[in-house]
Amino acid sequence: MIDIRELRRDFGGIRALAGVDLHVPAGERRAVIGPNGAGKTTLFNVVTGELRATAGSMRLGDAVLGPLTTWQRARLGLVRMYQRNELFDPLSAVDNVLLSIGSIAGAYRPLRSPRRAERAEAATVLERVGLADRRAVAARALSHGERRQLELALALARRPVALLLDEPTAGMSPAETERIATLIAGLDRSLTVLIVEHDMDVVFRLADRITVLHEGRVIAEGTPAEIRGDRQVHDVYLGKAIEA
Amino acid sequence: MTRSWLIRAAIVVAVWSALATFPEWSAAWESSRFAAGIIRQILIFAIFASSLNLLVGFAGLPSLGHAAFFGGGAYAAAIAAQRFGTDELVVSLGAAVVVAALLALVLGFLAVRAVGIFFLMLTLALAQMVFAIAFQATELTGGSNGFSGVHRPVVFGIDFNAANDLYLLVCAVALLVGLVLWRIATSSYGRALVGVRENERRMRALGYDTRTLKLSAFVLAGALAGVAGALSAYEFRFVSPNDVALGTSVAGFVMVLIGGAGTLVGPILGAAVVLSIERVLPSQLPAQMVLGIVFIAFVVFARQGLVGAVRRAVRA
Repeated sequence: MIDIRELRRDFGGIRALAGVDLHVPAGERRAVIGPNGAGKTTLFNVVTGELRATAGSMRLGDAVLGPLTTWQRARLGLVRMYQRNELFDPLSAVDNVLLSIGSIAGAYRPLRSPRRAERAEAATVLERVGLADRRAVAARALSHGERRQLELALALARRPVALLLDEPTAGMSPAETERIATLIAGLDRSLTVLIVEHDMDVVFRLADRITVLHEGRVIAEGTPAEIRGDRQVHDVYLGKAIEA
Repeated sequence: MTRSWLIRAAIVVAVWSALATFPEWSAAWESSRFAAGIIRQILIFAIFASSLNLLVGFAGLPSLGHAAFFGGGAYAAAIAAQRFGTDELVVSLGAAVVVAALLALVLGFLAVRAVGIFFLMLTLALAQMVFAIAFQATELTGGSNGFSGVHRPVVFGIDFNAANDLYLLVCAVALLVGLVLWRIATSSYGRALVGVRENERRMRALGYDTRTLKLSAFVLAGALAGVAGALSAYEFRFVSPNDVALGTSVAGFVMVLIGGAGTLVGPILGAAVVLSIERVLPSQLPAQMVLGIVFIAFVVFARQGLVGAVRRAVRA
């Protein structure tokens, strides 16, 4: 499904991605872990087209992503959740979700209100992420945890084929983390999920396979059990992550 | 149809009916004709300000070049009527809409590539080019003398030459434009424009082609400004480079901000305030200075404009 070869991204003299290879088959849940500055968010930004790749190739299914803009990639079903919330602050939670659903049919319906089916779908998505009773609240008035839930709702409402989750549980309470992890675990198995996460409990619970990035390179890849036992991964990252 | 929807519709019908019949029920008043003229002009500029509001208030595109489409429409209406030798409304108003929309398409194509202050400066510069053309193409526009003797339109043979008839035409067009904008504001499209204003990056990540979306709003707003321009040409029977000039763009911007950007009623109220100050205030008072003070007061104390101030007062 997602096929990335020799992906490079330089910022001036700094090589943020130094030739990353990543092959994620359809329906797999792949976690990408690594210390801060390993290149995880840069990887997401390059895959979604918000940053141009310096070199390398990316495919989503049969589609070559390189020449496509961000919105064209989103139309292929490549949808992301941001690490820092990117919401429509003055709009209510339900209007945020309606914008996401509306993007599927397109914006050019000047004389048309969102259809009843879209409203019903928005209600369902808000229910799934646990915001059903907060639907009318402006995004800016939601708590941090709720904003993360809404951020996830926006991504899900876009009906993704491949979902990129950038630290979905960052800054959440244990109860909120549990809710989101359960929700992600319960997502349709046809959906390909790429997840960046620092909470190792969440990673080991959700991931089918794990890729470890360090200084812009893949230093290890395998099942959760294999990664847990990897000496090098322990040295650069896991040791610290688990102790912390 | 919710209750609040019905209440709003009832208010619109009541206000519009009162406005449309104003010349009749105020006939006994000695200033009736003068007042009707002011209301006509308020409505014309309300259309202009509302069209600019689609950009400034909804899509978050601060254009300082909107007069290009107002004046472009005014010239187009005047020139089309003269060249085709007809006073039919369809011809002159149609020409105004088409020319303004095409102009907006060309200028917008360049402008929507920039954001924020650069968008503002680019729209200003592009509109100045239109102004220069209007000023110098003497053969076509009359240059600095302007284009005088514009005929008032005929609709399917009915003459709108009398001031009272023109009044009705302006009321009808204003209502129509208002309804279109109302529908747009509550549609998926209007919501998408607000999305671009609030977070363009996120809109792209959701799969919206935001550049085309902004261009479409630019063209739509330009076309509606062209309608206002045509009405202005009928009203004053005169079009001049002033209609394309920076002053007119700024006036529209001030109306939007005083009334309340991003609201439907705001630009109408803003147009009423600005024109009342300019035309109704005793002539001994320096109108421009009063307008300046009012504007500063709004920017400092009521950023959300009149509508925002009223909303706050109601909530408190």
